[in-house]
Amino acid sequence: MSEKFQPLDPALRATLPAVNVDDMISGVKYYVDEDESHLWIKDHAICAHCVEKPCTYFCPVNVYTLDGEGKVMVGYQACVECGSCRVGCPFLNIGWKLPRGGFGVAYKFG
Amino acid sequence: MTEKLSFDAIVVGAGPAGVSAAITMASKGLHVAVIERGRFAGSKNLFGGVLYTSAIGDVLPDFAKRNPPFERPVTEQGYWLMSPDSVVRLMHKSQAYKVEPAEAYTALRAKFDAWYAEQAASFGALLIPKTNVIDLIRDAQGRVIGVQTDRPQGDVYAPVVILSEGVNNLLTQKAGLSKVDLPPNLVALSVKEVIALPQAAIEQRFGLAGAKEGVAIDIFGDATLGLPGTAFLYANKTSVSIGVGMLLAEFVQHKLRPHEVLARFKNHPVIKPYLQGGEQLEYGAHLIPEFGYDRMPKLLADGVMVAGDAAGMVDALHREGTNLAMTAGKFAGLTAVEAHKAQDFSARFLRMYRRKLNQSFVMKDLKQYRRMGDFLGESPHFMKTYVDFANDAALRYFSAHGMAKRDMEKEIVNSLWQRRSFFGVARDMMKLLRGMGA
Repeated sequence: MSEKFQPLDPALRATLPAVNVDDMISGVKYYVDEDESHLWIKDHAICAHCVEKPCTYFCPVNVYTLDGEGKVMVGYQACVECGSCRVGCPFLNIGWKLPRGGFGVAYKFG
Repeated sequence: MTEKLSFDAIVVGAGPAGVSAAITMASKGLHVAVIERGRFAGSKNLFGGVLYTSAIGDVLPDFAKRNPPFERPVTEQGYWLMSPDSVVRLMHKSQAYKVEPAEAYTALRAKFDAWYAEQAASFGALLIPKTNVIDLIRDAQGRVIGVQTDRPQGDVYAPVVILSEGVNNLLTQKAGLSKVDLPPNLVALSVKEVIALPQAAIEQRFGLAGAKEGVAIDIFGDATLGLPGTAFLYANKTSVSIGVGMLLAEFVQHKLRPHEVLARFKNHPVIKPYLQGGEQLEYGAHLIPEFGYDRMPKLLADGVMVAGDAAGMVDALHREGTNLAMTAGKFAGLTAVEAHKAQDFSARFLRMYRRKLNQSFVMKDLKQYRRMGDFLGESPHFMKTYVDFANDAALRYFSAHGMAKRDMEKEIVNSLWQRRSFFGVARDMMKLLRGMGA
């Protein structure tokens, strides 16, 4: 059991470069549904009590960011529909459905 | 009231599993609808990736004549064990791989899946893109008899529905075939970039003699910060596919940003020269179901079967998935054809699908590696310990500075015990063997 969940060595963490996600996704083609977000926070009060806010890290396209007051914002336009947030949120507090047919990411290479 | 839109079979999702089912059914005369949420088949799909022609050929014997959009045949493949500053390469290159069609090809899914779906259409299957299936339709007895889509008057009916919706198997869950959503400790999050490079540069850097050679490399160790996971570097025609994948739970627990792990990997002194001067074409992310045999959804019920990622048909150890999906899709399709002959779509009859899977490599492999996911979760140190040891041992082995070879060998062995106790190593090996199904 002691082998599990060992925290990452801070020196190792320091070797991670900062990445501009906007640059990363500049080649990704999206058909954004301007009328409707397919992602939503179910209850912001739960996020307020979530200390770690891991969604602001593990989402591969940085959909989840914090506003000035520390409230979680959902930039669904960048979503690549991987599904990580739906099951990765420790409180299962992220609502997730498929974008309407034809909307969302459209990989050219994949 | 307008007439009901009905088919002999409905396939949900135009990926490898669904299209294989559609080809199998349509080529035997069934009237098949394939409903796809993307703008075209493949537009939502992403993998490493390597495709295996034995599975494609089982579904579509004349596939090679139909100009499949493969990238390069895999004529060299293997593993790189990467420490923070070095690499041990275990690669296999052989003339035996140089047959046509080759056993494996690198590929890009947005192109391949679109082509594969066109083949289904050539047999008469109807592809309905830009359409979400939001629920199954059942009769009074609870049997599945169709699907409800997000189109106006969008109900579509068929006596048999094949769910090949991919890893986010929400319909499979809604149908009660899976009781739980994906467990974060048994699903991998993989991120990938496709990077354009001139063909000549790719061939020079990877040592390839022209477009008839290609390489697929799976990379362990420092690529994933020593955490359980894999990275990959595959040569396409005029691009490379590079990516990293780790269990979602690790990203969550360690608060890691996948794109940063990928950027760090790309900067590794061993990797960087391969990418020099390349231009990023696309970035993407996808989940890989690694929950394995013991946690697979129920594969069938009255009027419905599940195939591919939706059913967790992935052999992560051998980076196989599309071939399992295609084979399963074919079996589901064959079962649907037989069900039509018998006019019996009950779960009892559809159990033929499960029997076919059990007799094939799909279930045999999934069963053999059923504990692999547990192994990785329980031994998070595994990659780092042994990959760093291999690199350290190599450095000592290849050094010549006046030390007797016997002393050098002792040093190598001691450097292992410094990393891990004798019993620790023994336990790791036992667990690894168990994970391998020995």
